[in-house]
Amino acid sequence: MSVRGYVNKNSLKRRKVVDTFAKTVFRLCGFISAIMIVVIFVFIVQRGIQVFFPGYQFGNIDFLSFISGFTWRQDQMIYGVFFIFINTLITAFGAALIAFPLSILSALFIAKIVPKRFKIIFTTVIELLAAIPSVVYGVFAAGVIVKWIDSFASALGYTTRGGNSLLAVIILLAIMIYPTITTMAITAIEAVPKETEEGSLALGASKTQTYFKVILGSARSGIVAGLVLGLGRAFGEATAVSMVAGNALVGPTLNPFDITRTLTTTMLSGLKETSGLDYDVRFSVGIVLMITIVITNFIIHRIKDKLGGEKA
Amino acid sequence: MNNIFTVKDLDLYYGDNHALHSIDMAIEENRVTAFIGPSGCGKSTLLRCFNRMNDLIDGCRIEGNIEFRGKDIIKDKVDTVELRTQVGMVFQRPNPFPMSIYDNVAYGLRCQGVKDKKVLDKVVEESLTKAALWNEVKDRLKSNALRLSGGQQQRLCIARAIALQPDVILMDEPTSALDPIATSKIEELMESLKKDFTIVIVTHSMQQAARISDFTAFFLLGDLIEMNSTKEIFHLPKDKRTEDYITGRFG
Repeated sequence: MSVRGYVNKNSLKRRKVVDTFAKTVFRLCGFISAIMIVVIFVFIVQRGIQVFFPGYQFGNIDFLSFISGFTWRQDQMIYGVFFIFINTLITAFGAALIAFPLSILSALFIAKIVPKRFKIIFTTVIELLAAIPSVVYGVFAAGVIVKWIDSFASALGYTTRGGNSLLAVIILLAIMIYPTITTMAITAIEAVPKETEEGSLALGASKTQTYFKVILGSARSGIVAGLVLGLGRAFGEATAVSMVAGNALVGPTLNPFDITRTLTTTMLSGLKETSGLDYDVRFSVGIVLMITIVITNFIIHRIKDKLGGEKA
Repeated sequence: MNNIFTVKDLDLYYGDNHALHSIDMAIEENRVTAFIGPSGCGKSTLLRCFNRMNDLIDGCRIEGNIEFRGKDIIKDKVDTVELRTQVGMVFQRPNPFPMSIYDNVAYGLRCQGVKDKKVLDKVVEESLTKAALWNEVKDRLKSNALRLSGGQQQRLCIARAIALQPDVILMDEPTSALDPIATSKIEELMESLKKDFTIVIVTHSMQQAARISDFTAFFLLGDLIEMNSTKEIFHLPKDKRTEDYITGRFG
């Protein structure tokens, strides 16, 4: 029997129309998202840099003292962002330093070691943790972590400002980015081909050697992507961090029990009660934050390529 | 001739699936033994018993025994890590690790705690030479192994297995993912390797079995139908089913 006679002639035409339509829609979507990014970027940069130029209506900030300053006092019109930038690096990398190893070990445990029937429980818990809104973490940190830190500090003979501290921010961020990195790491580890794992075991490597030498190496790209996402969250988190940072006026600080101030808390605190220069300078801080994140991601990817020799 | 492996009344189950039925056979030392048979006949499963790779499969149960140089390797007490340093394996698809060529070859020894750079350098060179890969890669030992071609990757995997100086190399369809030229290189390599190693190879290609092996075992649906010298199997098969298979009447 020939099916030729049954082919609908109109169907071909219709599919062409649908194809063209779909292509247009896809292009439009791509165009819109590109435009959005450009518009946001241009808007922020424009508002952020105007405070440094003469002719700005609310007075001026000297760019050099902004970029190198160690004091942030809006009451005295002193805006120095350098120590805030350092503080932000300390909190984000401090959090990653705690969360990253824990995430890797958890991911190995969940992806490779846990019996299959319990695995679903662990992955669900991790995914739930990732889905908790940041303000909830903030409330938890402000109500619980801060108290622990306060008593821990006084046990060591230090005083804190009610527990608000660099350490509180780091612990909070570590908790917040842990599920992000873990989820990505699990996915990456599970994507490692079974043959690679078997190849290692067949060479007389123990399971532990196989996990650390071969599986983590093979999952490197996905794990680094998780780290980048986690760091992005750590850099960008404002609400929760604001609840425990204490907004120090000077810095930077390395004392874990001292209060701190990050780029995001600076942008957020008092945003609704201010205007003029003090408002616009937050956009300048935003630019610093964006550049920080871009450079950090770049460096992390470079390190990844270095660690794994050259790219395959 | 010595038998390096003696399989006695071996049964293997995947859950309820009875995959191998009371297999008895012996593998001779420093010879190439080929396992042939249609897909799902149990040849790879049996191969993976020799280095206990079936341990990795949930619900896999083995009864009977396999003696490796007179020692039973099926009972639980056997140290599989040690066994696998003596019984190496090459897989169907080349599976180099995402690290440098050098690190791939040194991997097995490093896992055994060998750190001496001089020893590693020497073994890496020797192994790659034996695997007929040295001349192609000696100038780029530090480059990523995943950059090699499929055939080179497979020879690297052979070099990686040789580096541990095992007694046996198991090969699970080592050329089925390779083109004919890469395949012939691997086949030549096996010819030279059998001086130093016992080779057991699972293959889908009867020509390959006929070309390279000294002994051939034919499997069908979990049974060992016939095992004999390759010459006998291909010229005077005793069993009708073997004859049907090698003449291409099924499979």
